[in-house]
Amino acid sequence: MTEVDALLQNIDYAAAVILFCIGLYVVVAKGNLIKKLLGLNIMETAVFAFIVTSGMVDGGHAPIVTEAATPPFASPLPHALVLTGIVVAVSITALALALIVEVYRRYGTIEADELRETD
Amino acid sequence: MKRALAAAAMVAVAVPMLVAVSALPRPGAPDGPVHTQVAARYLAAGAAETGAPNLVTGVLLGYRSFDTFGEVMIIFTALAAVMAALPATGADGAADRQPAGGGLPAIRVSPLVAFVVRFTSPFIAAFALWVILKGHLFPGGGFQGGAILGALGILLTIVLDRRRVWPLPAVARSRLLQAGGPLAFAVVALAGLWLTGYVLGYPADPALHAVRSLMMLLLEVGIGFGGGAIILALFLRLRGD
Amino acid sequence: MSQLFDLVMLGLLVAMAVAVARSRDLVAAAVIFSGYSLVLCLLWLHRGAPDVAMTEAAVGAGVTTVLVLVAIGRTTRREK
Repeated sequence: MTEVDALLQNIDYAAAVILFCIGLYVVVAKGNLIKKLLGLNIMETAVFAFIVTSGMVDGGHAPIVTEAATPPFASPLPHALVLTGIVVAVSITALALALIVEVYRRYGTIEADELRETD
Repeated sequence: MKRALAAAAMVAVAVPMLVAVSALPRPGAPDGPVHTQVAARYLAAGAAETGAPNLVTGVLLGYRSFDTFGEVMIIFTALAAVMAALPATGADGAADRQPAGGGLPAIRVSPLVAFVVRFTSPFIAAFALWVILKGHLFPGGGFQGGAILGALGILLTIVLDRRRVWPLPAVARSRLLQAGGPLAFAVVALAGLWLTGYVLGYPADPALHAVRSLMMLLLEVGIGFGGGAIILALFLRLRGD
Repeated sequence: MSQLFDLVMLGLLVAMAVAVARSRDLVAAAVIFSGYSLVLCLLWLHRGAPDVAMTEAAVGAGVTTVLVLVAIGRTTRREK
């Protein structure tokens, strides 16, 4: 099996990598702090997508084990990890936004280039 | 120039990652390491060991409750940090840049939107409560219900804000409610220490399963209502109230 | 069929992420990000993760967007 075939088979993972890199590009190339934060959020969701995808199983159901449910079940561990990760992500977002608002109040701009000139 | 450099860096990051993921087992393969290691044990014994058929809740509050505790502390700390970073407007010189009575001018809400929000909010609230209280049996749990409660609180605050008697912001500012998650964890950790000798331990004795369910329910309620209050408080503080 | 759904969703996600990156209007970027979260939530629901999907719908599509919009309201809307 060639590399390309292997990549196509893991297209869900590849999509997560592409999303991660788009987010990284926004964080690195854009100057606006809020835009950078949106890029960071895209990176975070890409990682979550990767982890959730790793937990799925062919024809799997949600991991709720009752008499009525039939296997296979998706792995519950990635779901639990991502669940806490999402809440941490919103904490990061809120704190970063608070800092951005405070930066704007003090310097009147949220562009990284202009902020560098003001000191 | 800067953009070309960023794009080149992006490609330099992307290529090794793409090569790496192409070597991973196919997503969904039942014999992948994700399914054969610890997850197999969780699926086989989790419902009996934690008393939660919804294994996501079982993992969060049972097997990995220390993780969850740290995570509850993170969102609590985030609120404290936001409050420290953003002074409340009106209390200091910041007020002259902002209109009085909050950081943003009042939004004119269409009566149709206000009606729909008012009409649906009891149902959303009931759903959030269901998600929190029945999180061990159905999809849901403290975090999910807390997020729904927080979003509902933001929605109602935006729509009904012009009434100064609106009690929700005052409720969300209650320190006791904001600390609901950490407090619930403290109570359950001490109860576990007393019952089993381990911090956050759950009694394994079948006779004490009701106690175990009660401890989990306390955690769910603390995380749910505490998380909801923290999300609403973050919104209010960012808005400049 | 399931494979097709996956591919459409993934394509939509990448397109929306690019739209967030390209948009000069921060409000537009925030709203597109909200839609992006919603698509992600559907994808996760399809993959047997209803708990995660529920949280992402409430937090990613709802709370994060509102917080960003509020911060835009207190700073500037246009990206230079």
